[in-house]
Amino acid sequence: MSTLAKKPGYILWFLVLGTCLIAAAGAAGYSFYVGHGQAFNVNRGVPWGILISTYVFLAISCSGLCMISSLGHVFGFEEFTLICRRAILLAILCLIGAFGAIGLDLERPFNMVYTLLSPNFSSAIWWMGTVYGLYLGILIIEFYALMKNNHKLSMITGTVGFLFAIAAPSVLGAVFGLTLARPFWHGAFLPVYILITALVSGTALICLVMYFHHALRGLVMDTKDKRVVRLLGRILRLMIFVLIFSVFWNIIVGLYGAQPGHYEPVKALISGSLSVNFWLGEIVIGLVIPLFLLMRKNRTPFTTMVASLMALVGMFFMRYDMTVAGQLYPMRQGAEGLKQGLFSYSPSISEYLIVIGCIAFSALVYTLAERFLSLDLESEQHI
Amino acid sequence: MKDKRFAIVLDTRRCIDCKACTVACKTENNVPIGDETYRNWVTEEPLRGTYPKLGQSFSPSQCNQCANPPCNSVCPTSATGITIGGIVTVDPDKCIGCKYCMLACPYDARFYNEENGVIDKCTFCIQRVTVGGIPACVETCPTKVRVFGDLNDPNSEVSILLAKNAHRVLKPELGTKPFLYYLI
Amino acid sequence: MARLIDKKLSRRRFLGTSSCVLAVAAVGSQTTVLKALAESGEVTTSTGDGTKDVFTACGMCVNKCGVIARVRNGRIHKLDPNPDYIKSRGMLCARGNAGVKVVYDPDRLKYPLIRVGKRGEGKWRRASWEEALDLVATKMTEIADKYTRAGVMFASTEGTFQEHFFLQLAECFGSTNTVRHPTLCLSSNIQGFSATYGTFPTPDVLNSDYIIMAGANRSEALITPDSIDQLKGDGGRRKLVYLDPRFTKTAAKADEWFPIKPGTDMAFVLAMLNVIVSEGLYAKEFVEKMTVGFDMLPPHVKKYTPEWAAKECEIPAQDIRRIAREFANAAPKAVFYPGRRSSFATDDVQLRRAMAILNAVVGNWDTEGGLVPNSHIPLQKHAYLAPWYDDIPLRIDDGSAVFLSEKDGSWVAMRDRIIAGKPYPVKGMMIYKQNVVMSVPNRTKTLKMMDQMDFICTIDIAMSDTAWYSDVVLPEATYLERQDPLESIGGILPVVAFRQPCIAPLFESKPNLWIMQNLAKRLGSEIAETFDFTIDEYIHHQVSKNPKILHDLKTTGVHYLKVEPTYGLTKGKRLRTKTGKIEIYSENYAKNGLDPLPVYTRHEDVPANKFRLLVGRNAYFTHGTTSNNAYLHELMAENTLWLNSQSASKMGLRDGQSVKVKSNVGEGTLKLEVTDKIRPDCVYMAHGFGVLSKGQSLVYGRGACDAALIEDKLEPISGNVAMHQTFVEISPA
Ligand SMILES: Nc1nc2c(c(=O)[nH]1)N[C@H]1C(S)=C(S)[C@@H](COP(=O)(O)OP(=O)(O)OC[C@H]3O[C@@H](n4cnc5c(=O)[nH]c(N)nc54)[C@H](O)[C@@H]3O)O[C@H]1N2
Ligand SMILES: Nc1nc2c(c(=O)[nH]1)N[C@H]1C(S)=C(S)[C@@H](COP(=O)(O)OP(=O)(O)OC[C@H]3O[C@@H](n4cnc5c(=O)[nH]c(N)nc54)[C@H](O)[C@@H]3O)O[C@H]1N2
Ligand code: SF4
Ligand code: SF4
Ligand code: SF4
Ligand code: SF4
Ligand code: SF4
Ligand SMILES: [Mo]
Repeated sequence: MSTLAKKPGYILWFLVLGTCLIAAAGAAGYSFYVGHGQAFNVNRGVPWGILISTYVFLAISCSGLCMISSLGHVFGFEEFTLICRRAILLAILCLIGAFGAIGLDLERPFNMVYTLLSPNFSSAIWWMGTVYGLYLGILIIEFYALMKNNHKLSMITGTVGFLFAIAAPSVLGAVFGLTLARPFWHGAFLPVYILITALVSGTALICLVMYFHHALRGLVMDTKDKRVVRLLGRILRLMIFVLIFSVFWNIIVGLYGAQPGHYEPVKALISGSLSVNFWLGEIVIGLVIPLFLLMRKNRTPFTTMVASLMALVGMFFMRYDMTVAGQLYPMRQGAEGLKQGLFSYSPSISEYLIVIGCIAFSALVYTLAERFLSLDLESEQHI
Repeated sequence: MKDKRFAIVLDTRRCIDCKACTVACKTENNVPIGDETYRNWVTEEPLRGTYPKLGQSFSPSQCNQCANPPCNSVCPTSATGITIGGIVTVDPDKCIGCKYCMLACPYDARFYNEENGVIDKCTFCIQRVTVGGIPACVETCPTKVRVFGDLNDPNSEVSILLAKNAHRVLKPELGTKPFLYYLI
Repeated sequence: MARLIDKKLSRRRFLGTSSCVLAVAAVGSQTTVLKALAESGEVTTSTGDGTKDVFTACGMCVNKCGVIARVRNGRIHKLDPNPDYIKSRGMLCARGNAGVKVVYDPDRLKYPLIRVGKRGEGKWRRASWEEALDLVATKMTEIADKYTRAGVMFASTEGTFQEHFFLQLAECFGSTNTVRHPTLCLSSNIQGFSATYGTFPTPDVLNSDYIIMAGANRSEALITPDSIDQLKGDGGRRKLVYLDPRFTKTAAKADEWFPIKPGTDMAFVLAMLNVIVSEGLYAKEFVEKMTVGFDMLPPHVKKYTPEWAAKECEIPAQDIRRIAREFANAAPKAVFYPGRRSSFATDDVQLRRAMAILNAVVGNWDTEGGLVPNSHIPLQKHAYLAPWYDDIPLRIDDGSAVFLSEKDGSWVAMRDRIIAGKPYPVKGMMIYKQNVVMSVPNRTKTLKMMDQMDFICTIDIAMSDTAWYSDVVLPEATYLERQDPLESIGGILPVVAFRQPCIAPLFESKPNLWIMQNLAKRLGSEIAETFDFTIDEYIHHQVSKNPKILHDLKTTGVHYLKVEPTYGLTKGKRLRTKTGKIEIYSENYAKNGLDPLPVYTRHEDVPANKFRLLVGRNAYFTHGTTSNNAYLHELMAENTLWLNSQSASKMGLRDGQSVKVKSNVGEGTLKLEVTDKIRPDCVYMAHGFGVLSKGQSLVYGRGACDAALIEDKLEPISGNVAMHQTFVEISPA
């Protein structure tokens, strides 16, 4: 661990994250003062912007992390156990970051108490909030258990956590899937699709953790670690493969029959305002290149790391595109601010800064944890 | 009041697109000035035909006060609710501004009101109708495109209009059960 | 959270209330600016008794619709239509609803202002009423002494119910040079119809089965009750034929729309007459009994065949013939709508004569669904003895038109002579409720005329372009803050309207009567005496013969005698024409060397590569006036130049690009709107943009000004201006 402190980049790393956080705090304050109306580019046509998509990105990554890591201590994959602390910690941080993003998107966060005082059980967003809320609690306990090596407790919480890890993303998918008004989102596809993407994000993140855990310390991966990374790589490859299929079919379904409200957003993705995001961000960076890298026989942990990183970036675009595309098609013709019959949205500086802040937060706390907590298991403490 | 079911019947053939209804609504309900802040609107439908044989119609609209309102079922804090006469309202003290209702409404009837920091929408001028008045947009209309009334009263003007005339609602397929009726 | 809202508020408060009239203010919602004004102490939060409903009349345009002002805690919360007000059928248009913003407008005039910079530079200093009025009185007297009392001109427009106090001052001061809006508006219309019927009748739109509207855009240029009634009709039998080079919102509502070639309406009318006369479709015994000179008509219109007319007005002959027959068959429940603004072409009086004659021959006079002479509810006039002055010259524009109104004059003729200084100098300008810079065509000339004035005083409620170019600007209380006298509004169903103050005047604004009285004091006791009354005394005198009127107004906001029209009141009586009959052939015109029957004259065609500039209203603005009202500004933030899509593609111009428009008298730059809603040889822009006054913070710097482009041709019979004979070039800007 002491090796970490000596790294010169280490200080820089903190500086960068620090500035990001300060900038974000500034943006948040500004948006609070002048009002979201002025600070954010979300509008009547596109009320959900990059803050929501970032929330989805982080929340889903969290679930993914748990599912994968659970493979470790729940199903007893020996190889995984050595990173489970990191996985859970990172999951917690992602979730907190996620709550940060959505919290700053709310116009009246202080009225949140009414989710308890006058809950509406027919609201998907209420369930999402509740599920993720409890989930966070469980994760914290689980992390505590892991730190204390309380295997019994970590076993229980891990199992419950695993169930939540499955439930949460599907509820989140339902938030979009249940909006009848928006054919692009509406339907059973989203919950499933979200689940798949969760696995992609989760696997990718764990690969990164594994890799940097060693890289930052200049440790060489022993065969055991290498095996884990290979295994993860294989899982990731499989998931990306499945994902490519679902994306493909989602597009086909959208184009086929040209159903109003479904067709236009898909067109926006493949040839419209979101096409760069889609082709470059989602397809090339997010799916094709990673898949290609992961197919290579003689791939090193490094290539797996690169593939994971790119997959994650792709995921971020995928969230953004999904969130925005669904809103581009107006609920009525002749509405204000339509361009060729569609709305348009691009995030404001404040929105970008807040997004960066939320991610920076997770990263910062994680690095601090690496520094001050012993995230390795006893078995290798003495190294 | 309890046993009432308010509705508005519109005869768009009478609409001259004078926008009196939109200004009346803004003043009556203190809706902020701005392109995206409005409770009702009048759409200039695209020109039909080519010069010199042209036609055009204008369609005013607003919240449908749906009997099965998606905006209501998605609201996490029950800030959105259905009150007397079937009017769908937003309780500013409960609204967290998640904007989920804006996405759920199939009619673009909701918007964020920066003046009071919450979601705003047409309330059929509840402050007027509960004391026996009629909505501002209905009252001010030069050609009386809109007729407001209680559908539970078979003798109300709206009931009679609907009984006598063919009519339609917007996006019936979504099952929102709208209470804005358009004569055809 | 509340704290945050306050913060947002305070931001606007700061902007909303900077006492400088010229503040470029970011205007929040009505309440916000209101709160802002209030919290800065510029509005007493509670004026008078807190919460009440006040009957009054809208002051946003000519129609004076009935209003119930909902006053809450001393603030005007909402203006609702008065359902009892039969003339407006219980409606308020967008402008009427936006009236609240007239009161709570950060841009409104707040204090008397005296110019400190150069004219039109916009440098002002706040002055007390005493100082301002002293200055005005001194200047008026100076000019009167240096030249003559006619050396001070008085320009004004109806609408406030207090204009006659201004005209009284003019008369008592001793100036013959009053000039009013009619010669920018409908004087040729009144002349043409009066020459035929002895009066300017009202079309019974509600009960008419067949209406032809030519150049009267009732769905946008609102005239109550016509704008409402045009859509009613009787059991759907109503037919509306509409002639307009633009596809207006009336066109959208009409049964038939013909994009008539501008300036050729008379050809259409004469051809209809040709058909009706030659096919014997006219009302024979009516013509017999009620008209004179019919026998001259058939030979006169013989050559005006539909085939001939089709070439002129570009409406197919068979349509003209069909419409003529349908019209005659529907008669007498059919009207050729007289129109309102008739400042069209240089022979407009003869066009209106032709319309009048067409209506006469089908016998729709004074019957249901026809042309009905107005009834009036009499009010007692306030008699005063104007001081006598020797050697006051005649009006400067005397003789500039055949039938010139003594009171109204002829705006453009007068302006030309003032600039020429012939026959005598006019060096002082008093302006009341008229925006001459924006309203009189050929803005350059108007400014030239103002340049050579020694003194200009404008009484207004907003920093209009005219106020902007004045030396002293006096703030009148707005129509919602004043007690106005009773006004008798004639029509098929005549009414009496009035205005009561909804709140006390904000800032230092004062009603015109107060301004006139205090000016009169300074102009001499003789003049002051004629103003020796209070507004209440004045009103009680108006109703001295019938106190019920005032009672009705106070209890229902309107007074009327009948809710059902009575027709045929003129049957068997002499009309107010020379012959006492409907004059198809006008001896009077013959005597004055005018065509006794309307003769068609072909106007100059649109030159190659040019377009005819059309003039016309939209439903959101009153003339050049309300485009700076925040509620209306968001309905149309700037004007565009309508250009037909074929013409646009020919010239390779794109929708939305900015273009330069140039006429013989001026130019302007604005965005292009490519549309099919206009003839290929015409262009159109909305009135009220391209303002010069920075005191109109919302519209300043937006769009172009039509008044800068329109040429000021003269209609020589009525002295009306002809606004539709301007050709413009357009080029990419
Ligand atoms: N909203 C609103 N309503 C108003 C007013 C206002 O300012 N705003 N002003 C009031 C006043 S003072 C008046 S006088 C009336 C005026 O009301 P209108 O008499 O209707 O006057 P405009 O709308 O100016 O012109 C009517 C139409 O004439 C068309 N036109 C132009 N040239 C020709 C032509 O050669 N032949 C034919 N057939 N048509 C032609 C124009 O395109 C325009 O649409 O409106 C009154 N009502
Ligand atoms: N280009 C063009 N020119 C036109 C026309 C057109 O269509 N196009 N229309 C013509 C016609 S028909 C007419 S009638 C004339 C009308 O032209 P104007 O008689 O000039 O009438 P407005 O343009 O309405 O200007 C009225 C002025 O009075 C002020 N005002 C409003 N309310 C009050 C009040 O209560 N008290 C006082 N003291 N002032 C007040 C307004 O701020 C404004 O400056 O314009 C004519 N000129
Ligand atoms: S007020 Fe009536 S006529 Fe005017 S736009 Fe609204 S609905 Fe149409
Ligand atoms: S129209 Fe929209 S806002 Fe109104 S009730 Fe229906 S869903 Fe809700
Ligand atoms: S924005 Fe307010 S009203 Fe709309 S769903 Fe969220 S909490 Fe409910
Ligand atoms: S009913 Fe009232 S709130 Fe609804 S649109 Fe009309 S005026 Fe606005
Ligand atoms: S027509 Fe509109 S602006 Fe004119 S008086 Fe009536 S309400 Fe006022
Ligand atoms: Mo006019």
